[in-house]
Amino acid sequence: MNKILAEVKKKSMKTDIKHVRNIGISAHIDSGKTTLTERILFYTKRIHAIHDVRGKDGVGATMDSMELEKERGITIASAATYCQWQNHEINIIDTPGHVDFTIEVERALRVLDGAVLVLCSVGGVQSQSITVDQQMKRYKVPCIAFVNKCDRVGANPDRVIRQLRDRLGHNAIAMQLPIGLEANHEGVVDLVSMTACYFDGPNGEIVREEPIPDDLIDLATEKREELIDAASMFSDDLMEAALEDTITEDLIISAIRKATLIRELTPVFIGSAYKNKGVQPLLDGITQLLPCPLDIQNEALDLDQDETPVSLVSDPDKPLVALAFKLEEGPYGQLSYIRVYQGTLSKGDTIINVRNEKKVKVGRLIRMHANQMEEIDTIRPGYIGALFGIDCASGDTFVDRDINYTMTSMYVPDPVISLAISPNDHQSEISMAKALNRFSKEDPTFKTYVNDETGETLISGMGELHLDVYIERMRREYKVALTAGAPKVAYRETITKRADFNYIHKKQTGGAGQFGRVAGYIEPVSDEPFIFENQVTGGAIPTQFIPACQKGFEKCMEKGPLLRFPVTGIKVVLNDGASHSVDSSEMAFQAAAVGAFKEVYHKAAPVIHEPIMKVVVETPTEFQGTVMGTLNQRRGMIVGTQDEGPMCVIEAQVPLAEMFGYSTLLRSSTQGKAQFTMEFATYRQVPKNIADEIIRKVQEENKHVA
Amino acid sequence: MLKQDLIMKNPLRLMGHQTDDILCDGGFGAVIARAGVGKTALVVQLSINAQLRKQNVLHIALKDPVKKVCLWYDEVFRNIVEHYNVSDQDKLYEEIIPYRFIMTFRVEGFSVPVLEERLTDLMEQGIFVPKMIIIDGFPFHDDVRTSLDELKTMAKTHGFHIWFTVTAHRHDMPATNGFPPDFSQVADLFDTVIQLLPEGKEILIKSLKGGPENMDDSPLRLNTSTLLLVDHS
Repeated sequence: MNKILAEVKKKSMKTDIKHVRNIGISAHIDSGKTTLTERILFYTKRIHAIHDVRGKDGVGATMDSMELEKERGITIASAATYCQWQNHEINIIDTPGHVDFTIEVERALRVLDGAVLVLCSVGGVQSQSITVDQQMKRYKVPCIAFVNKCDRVGANPDRVIRQLRDRLGHNAIAMQLPIGLEANHEGVVDLVSMTACYFDGPNGEIVREEPIPDDLIDLATEKREELIDAASMFSDDLMEAALEDTITEDLIISAIRKATLIRELTPVFIGSAYKNKGVQPLLDGITQLLPCPLDIQNEALDLDQDETPVSLVSDPDKPLVALAFKLEEGPYGQLSYIRVYQGTLSKGDTIINVRNEKKVKVGRLIRMHANQMEEIDTIRPGYIGALFGIDCASGDTFVDRDINYTMTSMYVPDPVISLAISPNDHQSEISMAKALNRFSKEDPTFKTYVNDETGETLISGMGELHLDVYIERMRREYKVALTAGAPKVAYRETITKRADFNYIHKKQTGGAGQFGRVAGYIEPVSDEPFIFENQVTGGAIPTQFIPACQKGFEKCMEKGPLLRFPVTGIKVVLNDGASHSVDSSEMAFQAAAVGAFKEVYHKAAPVIHEPIMKVVVETPTEFQGTVMGTLNQRRGMIVGTQDEGPMCVIEAQVPLAEMFGYSTLLRSSTQGKAQFTMEFATYRQVPKNIADEIIRKVQEENKHVA
Repeated sequence: MLKQDLIMKNPLRLMGHQTDDILCDGGFGAVIARAGVGKTALVVQLSINAQLRKQNVLHIALKDPVKKVCLWYDEVFRNIVEHYNVSDQDKLYEEIIPYRFIMTFRVEGFSVPVLEERLTDLMEQGIFVPKMIIIDGFPFHDDVRTSLDELKTMAKTHGFHIWFTVTAHRHDMPATNGFPPDFSQVADLFDTVIQLLPEGKEILIKSLKGGPENMDDSPLRLNTSTLLLVDHS
């Protein structure tokens, strides 16, 4: 360990911040990003053997650290790791590929400076690539693309580059040409240096440069022209050099880098990670074209200045600002992944968690390589590391005591689905509580609570798979024996017209009396969940009782009188009332507000709203009609279809309640050739006949509970 | 302003037509202009008007992805409702969206038999039966008479009409009938042809065929920032 420590210290002293890259590897599920990461770690000598993602050898890829991920062949939690290449230090976050874990992707993108968008050379730009790309746009993450799996039957990198332009709107430009495709894929032609690269050795570790094969020279020359044309739009020097025929490799790289950093150009690399081809040039691309922390402008919000945005500076001597972006429970306690944006985080420092203002003493600092760790003394600005044994939630900001900054809060969508879980025995009950506590801290879209009427524990999240994975994790990692109920949709109630109320709460029959009259109206609003407006004049309701009225109405919003679903989109205007000099109290007015709401609610034409999901299905064209039929039967509204040659993409809006079990249906009706992704789109009113059915079911359930 | 009033602000009525449905089943209409002048915006206005009248519109884009077409609709609808000060805009938009279906193809992948196959899928399952079709980006520079004949037959059979956008090029000299050369070969198949002409900072709307008689008296204009028809009423 001492040797490693000494080595790390020595290296970190040597490393210039300009040589640091914090990158993510994002893609559609099964595009091979975990295999790619594995190869990167191998070539950068972080690991010394290569394992398959699907774990034929029982070891699994290094970045897929959870057992469940290894089994399913997908990455669920982002593990962070670092490696070195050509005197550059690269921190990699392996991001999940399924849309149900989008919060993980979003959180990862928040701390990244650049990203590699991995695309399958057969599947091309798929629905998840579109989602990930939108997220990258939201966080303005510059990216380069890697067209993987060029060894597969049907590989066509040119088509993928076209799709990048047409479907994602990227100004995509090839940096390389493939030397052979499918089974004949041998290597790549580098269009900048105009050399052919072959990958020799048992694991492709020896890069052999050769002259370009004769049959590719013309095409390479043409593609290089295209590359230079595209790059010269962003560099006058390159433009001049092109006119004077004095182009150098450095000029091309610097122009492409400049355009990449402002997201005006997406350089495309190609290869096959599985067949060990094209990974080293991609690593060169990462170091040459993606930004260092200094290239990125990060902002925090100053809580002392009414959340005014402040720019952060990658200066190790400035006060610390760091963000915990990922938590993991390890054998030695909680591990919090952290990115330092400003200042230096050192062992023994006392820092403050801005969320709860608690002081935290920094114990062990480590640098993670998937699930192995190396101890370090400091984390400097722009670097990613991890803290041991600190109690925090993901998304927490840590600062020095002199400042009160918070990193911009991330958009966290409300959960759309919930299900009841119950432990089978006492030991499981204890372990389940532990697991739920940890999961809800790690993932803000995963929530847990106890239904006070039924006593059931409910978990809620962003989709069926999202909850399935957490249930499986409880079973495997925490050995919880549990029974899970059927998933339930998070319906909401709202009103559709204005209605007046005038309600007297009166209890003056003995003992301490209660009296309060409230009058006004409720009406629908579309952009706010709840608005309370006090228009009472002349002291009809004494001022001190107004907050009690508001509290009473607010309380009613939690459970609607119709079906006990949360109520949203209501404006309450209170314009009159009456009080009693002795019998009026806060409690009386709160009760009057509750009574008024219950009375007026049914007059305001209440309706049920349901979550509508954006569903994107990718299917071979021959199944297009069938797939549209399946969506239509599920009350889906098809927004559009996009023909992409042999494949077609269907976009629809479908109520979540109709999507349970859709993956099985889709598989069986398309011979397993179609796939879909789903994400929350909006809430929309449930049609009358369906609403009646929901009301009937809920009333039955309530009877059962009673 | 109410929905019914908004319907009366149909671009075709503003141009002087007495009715919203100037094309019969199997009828063809065309909007001709140079790139970026506002062809798509105008056909999207026609489409939104049909949707407001509860008519199904199939929008076929041969160059843009579904997302971009949706953006066109969002933008044009927002401009219309803001211009006419329509209340409850979100509700109205939600109301009309089910009357729209977007289909995109690559130009080289589009053919009448493929479209017929897709349409049959939609109509047989009762998913969507169009009353109006918009084809944005149809390649008029190719030999398209046969395809257009087939489209016309299909439109008659299934009971819908089609609006096309036609891109004119600056360097093309108009044919003797005043149409762009590529289009002039097939102009006889069209019942109505509208041209958008940039003139200084304005875009003039000119009827080349099938327009109302009084149209040239006070030429209509497109607002260059919203690409909506300027309403003088």
